[in-house]
Amino acid sequence: MNKKKKIGGLRRLFEISIVIIIGCICAITRSAAAAAAKDDQFLLLLGVSPQDEDYYKGLLSSPSSTIKCKDGSFKFSTSQLNDDFCDCPDASDEPGTSACPNGKFYCKNAGHIPFSLYSSRVNDGICDCCDGSDEYDGKVKCPNTCWEAGKVARERLKTKIATYQQGVTVRNRLVEQAKLAIAKEEAELSKLKNEEKILKGLVEQLQERKEQIEKAEEKERLQKEKEDKERKEAEEANLKEKQNGEQVESSEADALKNDIHDKIGEQVESSEADALKNDIHDKIGLLGDSSSSQDVMDGHGDSESEAQHGEFDVKEESPIGDVKPLQEDSLLHATEKEEQLTVDGQPGLDTGNQAEVEEDNSESLSKEELGRLVASRWTGEKTEQQTEEVSSTKDKNHGTEEEDAYGEEYSSYDSEEDDHRYDNDDGDNEDQMDDFGGEDHDDSSPSYKSETDDEPDLPAEPSWLEKIQKSVRRIFQAVTFFQTPVDKSEAARVRKEYDESSAKLSKLQSRISSLKQKLKHDFGPEKEFYSFYGQCFENKQNKYVYKICPFKQASQVEGHSTTRLGSWEKFEDSYKVMQFLNGDKCWNGPDRSLKVKLRCGLNNEVTDVDEPSRCEYMALVSTPALCVEEKLKELQDKLDMMNKEQPTSHDEL
Amino acid sequence: MKESPNLIFHVLFLLLLISPSVFSWKKDEFRNCNQTPFCKRARSRKPGACNLIATEVSISDDGDLTAKLIPKTPENNESQDTPVEVDSKPLLLTISVYRDGILRLKIDEDQSLNPPKKRFEVPDVILDEFLSKKLYLQRLSEEKIDNDSGFSSVVYLDGDYEGVLRHDPFEVFVRERGNGKRVLSINSNGLFDFEQLREKKEGDDWEERFRSHTDTRPYGPQSISFDVSFFGADIVSGIPEHATSLALKPTSGPGVEDGFSEPYRLFNLDVFEYLHESPFGLYGSIPFMFSHGKARGSSGFFWLNAAEMQIDVFGTGWDAGQDKIMMPVDEKRIDTLWMSEAGVVDAFFFVGPGPKDVVRQYTSVTGRPAMPQLFATAYHQCRWNYRDEEDVFGVDSKFDEHDIPYDVLWLDIEHTDGKRYFTWDKVLFPNPEEMQNKLAAKGRHMVTIVDPHIKRDDNYYIHKEASDNGYYVKDASNRDFDGWCWPGSSSYVDVVNPDIRSWWADKFSYGNYIGSTPSLYIWNDMNEPSVFNGPEVTMPRDALHFGGTEHRELHNAYGYYFHMATSNGLVKRGNGKDRPFVLSRAFFPGTQRYGAVWTGDNTAEWDHLRVSVPMLLTLGLTGISFSGADVGGFFGNPEPDLLVRWYQLGAYYPFFRAHAHQDTKRREPWLFGERNTQLIREAIHTRYMFLPYFYTLFREANITGTPVIRPLWMEFPADEETFSNDEAFMVGNGLLVQGVYTERAKHVSVYLPGDQSWYDLRNGATYKGGKRHKFEALEDSVPAFQRAGTIIPRKDRFRRSSTQMDKDPYTLVIALNSSKEAEGELYIDDGKSFNFENGAYIHRHLKFSNGKLTSSNAAPSGAGGNKFSTDCTVERIILLGLSPAPKSALIEPANQKVGIEMGPLTIRPGKSPSFATIRKPNVRIADNWTIKIS
Repeated sequence: MNKKKKIGGLRRLFEISIVIIIGCICAITRSAAAAAAKDDQFLLLLGVSPQDEDYYKGLLSSPSSTIKCKDGSFKFSTSQLNDDFCDCPDASDEPGTSACPNGKFYCKNAGHIPFSLYSSRVNDGICDCCDGSDEYDGKVKCPNTCWEAGKVARERLKTKIATYQQGVTVRNRLVEQAKLAIAKEEAELSKLKNEEKILKGLVEQLQERKEQIEKAEEKERLQKEKEDKERKEAEEANLKEKQNGEQVESSEADALKNDIHDKIGEQVESSEADALKNDIHDKIGLLGDSSSSQDVMDGHGDSESEAQHGEFDVKEESPIGDVKPLQEDSLLHATEKEEQLTVDGQPGLDTGNQAEVEEDNSESLSKEELGRLVASRWTGEKTEQQTEEVSSTKDKNHGTEEEDAYGEEYSSYDSEEDDHRYDNDDGDNEDQMDDFGGEDHDDSSPSYKSETDDEPDLPAEPSWLEKIQKSVRRIFQAVTFFQTPVDKSEAARVRKEYDESSAKLSKLQSRISSLKQKLKHDFGPEKEFYSFYGQCFENKQNKYVYKICPFKQASQVEGHSTTRLGSWEKFEDSYKVMQFLNGDKCWNGPDRSLKVKLRCGLNNEVTDVDEPSRCEYMALVSTPALCVEEKLKELQDKLDMMNKEQPTSHDEL
Repeated sequence: MKESPNLIFHVLFLLLLISPSVFSWKKDEFRNCNQTPFCKRARSRKPGACNLIATEVSISDDGDLTAKLIPKTPENNESQDTPVEVDSKPLLLTISVYRDGILRLKIDEDQSLNPPKKRFEVPDVILDEFLSKKLYLQRLSEEKIDNDSGFSSVVYLDGDYEGVLRHDPFEVFVRERGNGKRVLSINSNGLFDFEQLREKKEGDDWEERFRSHTDTRPYGPQSISFDVSFFGADIVSGIPEHATSLALKPTSGPGVEDGFSEPYRLFNLDVFEYLHESPFGLYGSIPFMFSHGKARGSSGFFWLNAAEMQIDVFGTGWDAGQDKIMMPVDEKRIDTLWMSEAGVVDAFFFVGPGPKDVVRQYTSVTGRPAMPQLFATAYHQCRWNYRDEEDVFGVDSKFDEHDIPYDVLWLDIEHTDGKRYFTWDKVLFPNPEEMQNKLAAKGRHMVTIVDPHIKRDDNYYIHKEASDNGYYVKDASNRDFDGWCWPGSSSYVDVVNPDIRSWWADKFSYGNYIGSTPSLYIWNDMNEPSVFNGPEVTMPRDALHFGGTEHRELHNAYGYYFHMATSNGLVKRGNGKDRPFVLSRAFFPGTQRYGAVWTGDNTAEWDHLRVSVPMLLTLGLTGISFSGADVGGFFGNPEPDLLVRWYQLGAYYPFFRAHAHQDTKRREPWLFGERNTQLIREAIHTRYMFLPYFYTLFREANITGTPVIRPLWMEFPADEETFSNDEAFMVGNGLLVQGVYTERAKHVSVYLPGDQSWYDLRNGATYKGGKRHKFEALEDSVPAFQRAGTIIPRKDRFRRSSTQMDKDPYTLVIALNSSKEAEGELYIDDGKSFNFENGAYIHRHLKFSNGKLTSSNAAPSGAGGNKFSTDCTVERIILLGLSPAPKSALIEPANQKVGIEMGPLTIRPGKSPSFATIRKPNVRIADNWTIKIS
């Protein structure tokens, strides 16, 4: 595209003249044009772009004047300008001919978009400029089509501008929302961190208190035992010396003290273990949000992933809401298992198999098998077929391998969830998708609000912490001076409070790290890609469904098999491209990868997916995030220019 | 089709991942000499084992020398150690003599003795025109050689040569008349053997098994072997196709290197990932050996035989300690052993004496290279596969976007509807005609692939017609042979039959080939033929062709006939007005008449870049001038450095095409960053700049057989330094090109032959000849030099394709030698039709001497009624080696003065040294004129 240019009146006049001249030449003498018009100053400047006119000014004053080539290598005179002989290696003496291989020819294309052609196109018998100015030696006649072509182009430009206009608004809103949301999330994060601190303190206190209670209870129990014993002894030796008994008591108490201490130690350990367990659980939850392990979350249908839908569905607020954000976790769960299998280098393995078979056993193969085998060396095709067969068989027969595939990566994943996954596997995918879809439509709460849904166990009111604090305080007040005997209900309350609080704490922590994870991402210079987070864009091409989940991963689904095209890498090319790398390995080829080219559009939409090179995919996604204001201005200027040029050129030609 | 996978499969999968070499060449799948009974037998024979003698020597009514070869009888056999075969019948020997010193030797069974079968002689290779050049022998002279007990018969050859048939021991040789120096000979080492056909007797087990395949061999052993000696030879070369050095390494005797203990095999095979250095046979076969030596010059030996052949080159001293053979000991020579599974002896002796003489003589027998269309000599862009029309347009427009010219876009097998050739995939290529027309509007062409395997699908019209008419090759039990190839179950068109060739040719008409347009040309692949489930990935030897000929007898010629049929189809399609363009992978003597070949599925490795040069030079020596190697390497992904170097070298290949396997990354020229794009653009520009020169060279090949690219010793036959040099080559007689064959090379050593100097193409710098020079390896081009004393025509303006260059003016680069002289030629015609055959061309002779450049007509007068004219002018004449630079020049007869200025050798941005340049002489290239430097 040409950069925006200011057009001076003088230049316009000049251009019009050229157009007239060319028009005349075309009309009157087509063949002898170049020679005949040689004296014409204007024709001397054939092919010169407006910003270069100043450079040639010196030559127009007199025929004997000379200037240096732009690169300073040689000098040339007026008579050498456009004389169809290359004097300057940088082509500065031949802007209007094909004599220099490195030159550029400027066509004005009045009424349409002006542009610079390679000099190799000048007088090559092919009409390149819509005004026909590149073909002037009479070999071909190039009609001026700028008016018609321009009309189409202008219409297209107008449409584009309209899109940009709307898009810019949407984008601004997006940016606003993103900023708000991020601020909210950051605020939330710091609030949560605060709360975490407080809650942690409370939990520690509660734990301490709990331990004290337990200690006391233990003591009480021992005391009770002792008392029982004493009572018995007292009954038996009713009248023995009291002082002696007291001594015993104190020494026994020491022993008991030690005992209690041990037990407390155990308890602490076990509570730590609990905490650890929670921690693991949290992490898994977090992983669900991270790009690398979305699949773990798949299909659990648990509240967290549901919440994400709400979080990002801004449908009613902005046009991007038209997007159906596909929670990939809900869609992929069924297919991903197969993917896991096929993914694991299976195609490669398979060819391996093939070749080995060949080595060892090709003599025992049927003719057809042998033919396929040999063909597959070049194509790898049959091996792929085999892969499918092998993997599907595996799927059916070796369910355990599947677990292994997961197990390795997420060994801490507990079996309960595994079962859950299997349940989903058996269930109907589409129904689930519909379910999610339904939720999408119903749930139109803005992102920040949905955070409450995100952590349903955490009370929505900001005072929930205060409540806990209060209740803890109350407990503490109530039990601060507790003595043996322990108040049973008080102890239960402490325990309950402790359990609840530590559960809340771990949820809180999980939320914190998920927020941290999210905010770590590069959402663009103006956070315009914030809304991409947690979304997936889908496109169907023949038998394949392509799914692009920014910040996470991209995949290609065919029936029941899913191929990973790559994991989120980064934005490239000043946020015009999203790069996904390290997808599944190709047979005899590289790891799959996907480049997503972004362009301005009103909706987030995958408009095209292509595989220009084997296993290197390319997708086009339109999004308002790319509708930048400067570009809009540029387009408008361009349109203004085209509109200005129109009438004259049309009348003239 | 596939059983459920078992555990072993999985284990093997894993094993395979570990071993990276699994996909390389599969040695075990191909027979070596020991597994090939005829080769094993022949190789184990001892020198002097042949006990045949020539009797009944006479001149026939046809003007040939005839004789009978019979075993020595006990009476005349002094040493009885060679048992005489009981059923051995006399063999018929015929020697014919042709113009230009060519001797032809035929040995066959005597048909009057009713052998079980007529042995196969390859038809359609030898030109009728050659046969008409036969010299009818009038008389024989007899003489005694050395201490022979018997006589030798001597016939006169054209030039100063004689052919000699020695009676006992039987030997045939050619010698120089007068001094009696031998040139080349057959059976001097007594290794001749001819297994005669015989009736199968009880107990005869003729079957041969290899891997899972059984060859029924109904006619039993029928091989032929003999030794050929090249006298005065320092090197032997030729017998493509092998990925090996230009000077053939010995395969037997002393000095055999690792990997060269097998004979050179000539058996057309589709070899997956072939090695870059091996005597193993590849896609094509030309049983023509070229010898060259400082002492005598060049000679050649050609055996017209299409069966499997194995050829040993003996290391010097292989015969040490043998006293049986009577050979001149004072002469240097190279001995070779030729073994073939079937056929007859039909051998041609070429006496040279210059390398170009040998090529001329050989191509006078098998035909001169066809004149290609101009576009075909430009740059071709190929990939397996350009997937759909969108892809095609995308690639096409990217070339324009990057200002890189190209002429042809290729479509590999995936463009078809299920590998049914002559059809289009309806989804991917819904509008093939429109697509071709769009490219044609920019002067560009397309090529689609058409292979000889036909999908066995009753709904496929080609298959229907072929099977209904019995046009397929038959298996041993006379049913249509059914093999596996791209489409799956396939049969193979029996193109050996001229009627079937004619039927096939008709399939290319615009009416038959739906979706084809006049800008579409053809690519014949897999025509070895490749049969995925056949023995050695080809057709069983007992398959049957037209006339009951076994496949074993003509295997190496199958691809040739297919190429011929296709090429003829394109001629038919254009009503005989449009030159065909057909690229073939398989080849045979005569292929040069039908189109181009390429070196098949090479690999993106430096060694493969390196070996492409000797492979193409060898093809050129053996008549096939129009050849190339896949630029970039077919398999694998070239590093940008390798790709750029490949383009820089490939720009000088006679056939310049980039190609890639479907699993490789895209590698169109603009995909490797701006700098590499620029370098590749420049390499391609170089080719377009030299197109007038290349086209002139193609015409030279078309007239004389001299290849477009040549070994240095073809131009400098007496310079021994050049004999083993196959890293550099000559383009015509004017350019020397040296490849860069290592990664990130810092320096390149280049030997510049001759006593004249050389001008660096990059900057015009002068270097002395007869010396090895060390150059810095610049990234912008491979070292290339113009030889002093030559004039090279160029076109320095670049266009989208060669089509738009036809009106562009010429640049002449005159590289003066030490006596300030230079010469060159320029050939121009319409670039596409056959009118040039009737004189419609311009052939200029350009000569600079005494300060005058003269352009004169080099075309023979009255060369036909057609005329070709062009308004092209000369825009620039660059004079190298002229100092001080003169100020002006005078053009005659126009009597017009033009300025001489200092200008660069090539126009490229930045500073470069300047040379005297005649600015805008604007003389018409077609006219006679003189430019006087003052």
